[in-house]
Amino acid sequence: MTTTQLTTSAPQWLHDMTSPSTAVIQQKSKTPILDPPGFTALQTKQQKSKTPAPVRKQPTPEEMDTLKLKKAWELALGPAKQLPMNAIGMYMTGNSLQIFSIMMVFMLFKGPIGAMFSIQQTFSRLETETNRGQMLLVKAAFVGCNLLALALGIWKVNGMGLLPTTRSDWLAWETARDPLERAYFVPS
Amino acid sequence: MLLPLIAAAFLLAGSGSAVFTDEAWNVDYHYALLGQPKQSTSFFHQPNPSSRASLVYTLSERGVLGAVNPRDGAVVWRQVLLAGASAHNASFLRAGEGQDVVISGIGSQVAAWSAADGRQAWSVDFPGPLEDVEILELVDGKDTSGAKDAVALSGGDQPVVQRLDGATGSVKWQYQLSGTDVPYQVSASTTEVFVISLHKTILGYLKLKVTSLDPVSGHKMDEHMLSSENELATADTIVTVGANSASPINAWTDSTHSVLKVNIMGTKGISSFDIEKHGGEAVERVKLHAPYHINSLSHFLVHYETATSHWAEVFHVDLKRGQVEKAYSLPKLAGRGAFSTSTSDANVYFTRVTSDQVMTVSSASHGVLGKWSVGGFNVAAANDETAEPIHAVSEVSIRGDTVSAVRSAVLLSTGDWVLLRDGSPVWSRPEMLASTVSAAFATPAEVEALVQQLEAEAHSNPIEAYIHRLTRHVQDLQRLPAIIMSLPQKVVQGFLGTSVDGDITSDSFGFHQIIACATQDGRLIALDAGNPDKVLWNQQIADLQPGQTWQPSVSSPKGGVVEISSKASAGVQYNASSGEQLVSILPIDVTADQAAQEVKYAMHDGGLEATVDSSTTWHFMPTSGERIVSLVPRPLNDPVASIGKVLGDRRVLYKYLDPNLALLVTANDAATAATFYVLNTVSGAILYSNVHTGVDLSSPISSMLSENWFTYSFTAEASGDSPKGHQLVVGELFESLVANDRGPLSSTANYSSMQTGTEPFTLTKIYQIPEPISKMAVTRTRQGITSRQLLAVLADSSAIVGIPYGVVDPRRPIGRDPTKDEQAEGLVRYSPVIDFDPRWYLNHQREVVGVKDTITSPALLESTSLVFAYGLDIFGTRLSPSFSFDVLGKDFNKFQMLATVAALAVATCVVAPLVTRKQVNTRWQFM
Repeated sequence: MTTTQLTTSAPQWLHDMTSPSTAVIQQKSKTPILDPPGFTALQTKQQKSKTPAPVRKQPTPEEMDTLKLKKAWELALGPAKQLPMNAIGMYMTGNSLQIFSIMMVFMLFKGPIGAMFSIQQTFSRLETETNRGQMLLVKAAFVGCNLLALALGIWKVNGMGLLPTTRSDWLAWETARDPLERAYFVPS
Repeated sequence: MLLPLIAAAFLLAGSGSAVFTDEAWNVDYHYALLGQPKQSTSFFHQPNPSSRASLVYTLSERGVLGAVNPRDGAVVWRQVLLAGASAHNASFLRAGEGQDVVISGIGSQVAAWSAADGRQAWSVDFPGPLEDVEILELVDGKDTSGAKDAVALSGGDQPVVQRLDGATGSVKWQYQLSGTDVPYQVSASTTEVFVISLHKTILGYLKLKVTSLDPVSGHKMDEHMLSSENELATADTIVTVGANSASPINAWTDSTHSVLKVNIMGTKGISSFDIEKHGGEAVERVKLHAPYHINSLSHFLVHYETATSHWAEVFHVDLKRGQVEKAYSLPKLAGRGAFSTSTSDANVYFTRVTSDQVMTVSSASHGVLGKWSVGGFNVAAANDETAEPIHAVSEVSIRGDTVSAVRSAVLLSTGDWVLLRDGSPVWSRPEMLASTVSAAFATPAEVEALVQQLEAEAHSNPIEAYIHRLTRHVQDLQRLPAIIMSLPQKVVQGFLGTSVDGDITSDSFGFHQIIACATQDGRLIALDAGNPDKVLWNQQIADLQPGQTWQPSVSSPKGGVVEISSKASAGVQYNASSGEQLVSILPIDVTADQAAQEVKYAMHDGGLEATVDSSTTWHFMPTSGERIVSLVPRPLNDPVASIGKVLGDRRVLYKYLDPNLALLVTANDAATAATFYVLNTVSGAILYSNVHTGVDLSSPISSMLSENWFTYSFTAEASGDSPKGHQLVVGELFESLVANDRGPLSSTANYSSMQTGTEPFTLTKIYQIPEPISKMAVTRTRQGITSRQLLAVLADSSAIVGIPYGVVDPRRPIGRDPTKDEQAEGLVRYSPVIDFDPRWYLNHQREVVGVKDTITSPALLESTSLVFAYGLDIFGTRLSPSFSFDVLGKDFNKFQMLATVAALAVATCVVAPLVTRKQVNTRWQFM
């Protein structure tokens, strides 16, 4: 309401400023905003639109399949590429039970297991009716790579001595032999 | 807002300085004991003639000479004069008036000791056993300054009287007694030295022969026989002879205690007094109390005792007329009483101590100079027994005509030595514990009762169990007011971190075990290991005649029960908490292993013999010339947590665990060799044996067997290539020395040693130790998870050390550094010499004298083992060989923790509104 009051008494520039929308609507038919002096944008635009853009050829479904397969292979082999880095990291952290190495080992297990559970979701975008057979191989490769990462984790856990692989780990389940006779000393 | 924070910070800083206090002197306790004092060798004496403060000196029944501060009962100094002494050993202790030495005589040695610090001034050995020692209080003017001389009489084949120089101990003169008479006593007056010997008449009666000697030259002056007619059948009815007073007297009675005969020494006259029969009871004992000072009045007191009452008569000696007169008598009182003599200048005072009063009279008249009632002696006794005084020594302080104070050191019938200041007990020393011969730990009966209740609930049907529990809880409610009353105290203690030792009923850590000690004189005494300042109960369980000994063995067959068995009698059981004798003997639970066949073995004809159902199964006979020194079976209750040792590479070395192992030590005196055998006591097989030659068999050989390892120590004589040294041998038995191999029996569930004899593989290591070990024990914990400590009693340095097993581990690598795996196991390179680390000493700087044995018991906490050592001294402590991993130590500051939490809470409360306001403001304020 104040603006309408202003329109009556205020100068034009103030009116334009306070209610730009009305100004734009009024001049919509031509240009939304008054060009600043020396502006030649309209002309260049018209020139560009004149040169025809090269028409991109739509890929055939076969091409699309190979493309998707290629992408899928990339995805599948991704974990394998991380393996050397992980291995070095694991080697560096040492076999002691510290919070840092424990966290790294946890991450090492969490990644591959999580990836294997979400395998359908990962490849659903790339899977089509036609490449389903080939995709099976890709998925197998993906699982294999993740298993490799898991194996690295297990190797690490074993190095830390957390796997019950030795005799001493099962010592608590071994019981002492019971003697069938008991001897008692009778002080005389 | 800042003020509470500053206050909290201040409190934290203050409590921070209290962290890291050592647990020494908190968890351990030590009684420096002397043994029960004798009347004749106890007295008050000023160690420094110029000062008025006096100490109580005694030469106890256990052959320990000591000085006790009468103010607090602490031992000022003590010397063990004769180890292994008993009440039958004659011993003498004299102190000259105004002298700073005390002269002792025990065995065949007379020695002078500085009264202030117990340093020996001199000692003289006699050819025969000592019969008497006296101090010459001569008033001839020559010997008044300097040390007073002593006169000693020794018996044996060549009875001799010697006068010893008081300063150096050199012999001034000696007089050889001739004839077949048995020397009895020596006595000195101001002018003569009297030697009294017992002459046996043809009829078999005894007569007193008095020989008087010149004290300066030692020449015989006179000799006469006292006509004791046919009254003296044995020396037991001689009441007193001599004593070092102005007028030494001889007194004796006939065997029925009906007549008292008194002779003034040096005269031939005998005064005869009829002993009045008070009531119908026979007089059992007659004692004579006379002052020991040469310039005091020649009065004496005769003390008569019947089984239920006692009275006394005071006699005066008229030196001029050579007569003894009865002056007055002290009335008969029920119960036992003790009389003591004290002097002040020439006056003589007699103090009578009974179980309810202390009374002092002058020797001159029967007027009571001071009388105090005794509320109680403040010592533990059995319910039906009242502590009665046996004997006393007193010191009176005289103000004007009355006795202003009297201090009496009283030996009670319970064995406690109590000091009464006037009528109130100031301190008591449990001297009866000094003669402990056997001890055992037992669970308190209250704890056991709860265990039984819980077991009853576990083994009945749910409804019954529920009703049982409900009634139990209703009964528990009766204790609620007491618990509520004690709650504030508990909370305060919890804050201050002093609540580790609760009382015996709320003992969650198992520290409050009862230690039952059986003593040589037939008493059974119970201590609380968690609160050792007090004797729980103390009772006479064996009525021993004088001269009779017994060899009790104390054990705890099940929780809450103490069992005493000795050669003479079968086991008698007592309630561990109250000491009440249990009427029905409970079946012993040790042989709970019903499935197992029982083999019993015992020492027999110098060897071992084992029987199964009364048929002999095996014999073990040492080779000719060898005798069995000791046999240590593996403890019945010896839990082992793990059946194997985990190596550094996580493989397992299996332990050879057999509950039927025993370590037998034999000695060959001719060849000075000691042989050590590990036996399987079921089959009698020797699993391991080793001979050490050149062993000093006179020094102790100690041995110990636990779990799958054994240890022994001995002293090796010097030989051509090695000096004399003390050695500690540790051996460990394994199923196999190959890792992960469980031996031929593999994992079978059970086995019979009779049918399949497996032999262990033994690793041993020998270590050189700086001192001989007289006794060994090992810490025991509830489940055997905690590592072990070998407890070694060092008799020479009066100490007990706890050697960690890792130090003596036989698997320590020889000649090379340990590999990484071995390091992981904690093994270090073998070095043949072990020095006892000062931190291993359990007694810290105290001297634990005369320890005979050490017993251990597991606490409820797995980390902790209770240790108790007895012998002469009593010493106990709690040990955590693997440190206290399951309980917060004293160094944990509960207050600091709570204060931190409180400070954080306060800070949160203070800051929370500030933060809320800020958050609200950020939403509302734009600029």
